Amino acid sequence: MIRSRVRPGDLIGIGTIGLRSRPGRTALTAIGIAIGIASMVAVLGISSSSKANLIAEIDSLGTNLLQVQGGQSILGDSSPLPVSSQTMIDRIPTVTSSASVIQLDTKVQRNRFEDEPNGLSVLAVGAGARETLELKIASGMLIEGKASSLPVVVLGSVAAERLGIGNVANGVTVSIAGHDFAVIGILNALPLNPDLDRSVLIGDQAAFELLGVDPNPTTIYLRVRPEKIEATRPLLARTASPMAPNEVQVSRPSDALEARAKVDEGLQKLLLGLGGVALVVGGVGVANVMVISVLERRGEIGLRRALGAKRGHIRSQFVIEAATLAGIGGLLGAGLGSVVTWGYATRQGWLVDIPVTGLAYGVGGALLIGAVAGLYPASKAARLDPAEAVRPHA
Amino acid sequence: MSVLRLEQVCRSYEANPPVKALDGIDLEVEAGEMLAIVGPSGSGKSTLLNVMGTLDRPTSGRVWVDGAETSGLSDAALSGLRAARLGFVFQGFHLMETVGVVDNVATGLLYQAIPKRQRRRRACEALTKVGLGDRLDAKPTQLSGGQRQRVAIARAIVADPALVLADEPTGNLDSATSGDIMKLFADLNQAGATIVVITHDNELADQLPRTVVMRDGQVVADRVKASDMVKVAGGES
Ligand SMILES: Nc1ncnc2c1ncn2[C@@H]1O[C@H](COP(=O)(O)OP(=O)(O)OP(=O)(O)O)[C@@H](O)[C@H]1O
Ligand SMILES: [Mg+2]
Repeated sequence: MIRSRVRPGDLIGIGTIGLRSRPGRTALTAIGIAIGIASMVAVLGISSSSKANLIAEIDSLGTNLLQVQGGQSILGDSSPLPVSSQTMIDRIPTVTSSASVIQLDTKVQRNRFEDEPNGLSVLAVGAGARETLELKIASGMLIEGKASSLPVVVLGSVAAERLGIGNVANGVTVSIAGHDFAVIGILNALPLNPDLDRSVLIGDQAAFELLGVDPNPTTIYLRVRPEKIEATRPLLARTASPMAPNEVQVSRPSDALEARAKVDEGLQKLLLGLGGVALVVGGVGVANVMVISVLERRGEIGLRRALGAKRGHIRSQFVIEAATLAGIGGLLGAGLGSVVTWGYATRQGWLVDIPVTGLAYGVGGALLIGAVAGLYPASKAARLDPAEAVRPHA
Repeated sequence: MSVLRLEQVCRSYEANPPVKALDGIDLEVEAGEMLAIVGPSGSGKSTLLNVMGTLDRPTSGRVWVDGAETSGLSDAALSGLRAARLGFVFQGFHLMETVGVVDNVATGLLYQAIPKRQRRRRACEALTKVGLGDRLDAKPTQLSGGQRQRVAIARAIVADPALVLADEPTGNLDSATSGDIMKLFADLNQAGATIVVITHDNELADQLPRTVVMRDGQVVADRVKASDMVKVAGGES
C-alpha cells in the first residue's frame, strides 16, 4: 500500500506558508502575543535589575553591621542596656568596631521658644560611631575627640531638612533641653539606618556633663568580621546583658533592606499576572485568526487533501502555523521586553539584568500557547470533507 | 487492466427531499484512455469525479482505483492513493499566489516524502511538458488564465499518476484558450496519461475519443469514437 508521508523538514515550510503569504495579518496577530511576552519580560527584567542593584547597594553598605538594643521587660518598662555592655561586646574577638548610642528623652527645636512636634530624636553617641555606622558628612565635621564634651550637634539628613538648616556656615544653633548646641555638621543619608537620618547627634560626654543623662546605652551598633556574622549573633544578647538576655534584641539593619526587596515580589506577581492575561488575550487572538484562516483556505485544504495530504498533515500544518505565529510574537516580545528593561534600568542608573531563562520561557510559552490556540482550528481544518472543500464556492 | 471501475455507485445527499446525485453508475476506464463527462448543470458530474478520485465515498456501490477496491480503505490509505496514483485539475486552478510556479507544481509531490530538490527538478520537467519551460521563474499572478491552468495541469501530472481527473478545467477560460488546454490534455494522453475531463462544452467533448453523458445522476450515453484519437492528437483546431 502506498502511504502518504511528509518529510519532517518540509513540515516547517508547509506550516509557515500561510504566514508568509499574509505578512500583514501575521504581524498584527503576533503583536498581541508580543505585548504579553514583552510585559512579562520587562516586569521580570526590571525587577531583577532593581534587585541586582539593591543587592549591590546592600553589599556596598555592608551586611556585617549588627544592632543590639535594650528591649522591653516582661512588665513593659523599657530597659536600657547595662553600662558595661559595650565593653563586653568589644571583647568578642570577631567584633571589629562598635559604637553606643543613648536615646535622650528630650526634643530638639530650632530655638528655645519653639515647641513644634517634629518627630526628631536626640542621640548621644560615643567614640567609634564614624567607623561603625560609616557616617559621612555632607557639610561641616563630625563630633570627635574633645568636641565630645562640647555643646555641639551633628544633624541627620532628614533632621537638617525639618529644622530648615541647609549648611553650617554661620554659627547656627539648635535648642536641646534648654541648652543651645552649635550645629557643626550635617550627615549624608544612611540607607542602613534611616532612624539616624531623623535624629540629631551630640557627644556622649556633653550629654552626661551638660544634660545629666544616664550612661546606659539604648543601642549598640557593631561591625563583625563578615564570615563570622552568624557565629557572633547568638553571643550578643548574653554578652551585652548577662542578667537579662531575653530583653535584648539583636538585629541586622541590612535584613530590613532585603525584606524591602522581597516586598516587591507581590507587585511583581501582580504585574506578571497582568502580562499573563495579555498573553491569554493574544492566544485567543491567534485562535481567532486561525479560525478565520481555515474558513478562507477551504480551497487550499481541499487541494492538499486531493494532492494526498492526510487529516493529520492538515492538522499539523495549522498547529505549526499557529505555534509559529505565536512564536514570532514571543520573539518580538522578548526583544521588546529586553529593550524596555535596558532602557528603564539605564535611566535609573541600575545594572541591567536581562533574565535569560525568562526569555527562553517566554518564547517557549508563546509557542505552547500558539499550539494550544491552533488545536481547535486545526482539527476543524482536518475534519473538512475533502469533496466539499474542493467545490467552488460563491 | 482498468485504471478505474465503478459498480452500481450511488451517492445521495441528505436533504429534504433527499438528492440522489449519483444513481447507479457503472463505468470503467482503461489505462491510456481519455474521456469527457458531459451533462447539464446538477446532473452529478462533479460528484462522480469526486467519487472517482476518492475525495468522496459512495453511499452504495463499489469503486476500484488502480486495482484497489476503495471501500475498505481508511482515510489515510485513500490519501496515499491520491498522493501517488491520482492527479486533479479544478476549474479554479487552486494555485498558491505567493509561491513561484515551480514550487506550486512541486506541491504535487509533497505528500510522498520526496526530497525537495527532486520535487523541484520533476516540477521543472512537468512545466516543460505543459509548455511553460520558459516561465519557470514566474509567479501565478504574472500568468494568464490559460497559463495558470497549465501550471495546475503540471501539478496534476508531476507524480505520474495512473489517472488524471479534471473538473471543468476550461470553465474559467475563453474558447481559444480552452481549445489549447484540451489539446494539451490530448498530447499528455498521447504520451500515456489516462485522463477524465468534465466539461459543459459539447464541442470540446466531441473532439475526444469517448464521451459519457450524464443526466439526473445516471449515465445516459457512453459513446466511443475509436478513430478520433488520432485526429485530436494531430491538433487541427
Ligand atoms: N453537499 C451537498 N448537499 C446537498 N446536495 C448536494 C451537495 N453537493 C451537490 N449536491 C447536489 O447534487 C447534485 C449534483 O451536483 P454536482 O455538483 O455533482 O453537479 P454537476 O453536474 O457538477 O453540476 P455543475 O455542472 O453545475 O457543476 C445537484 O443537484 C446538487 O445540488
Ligand atoms: Mg460540477
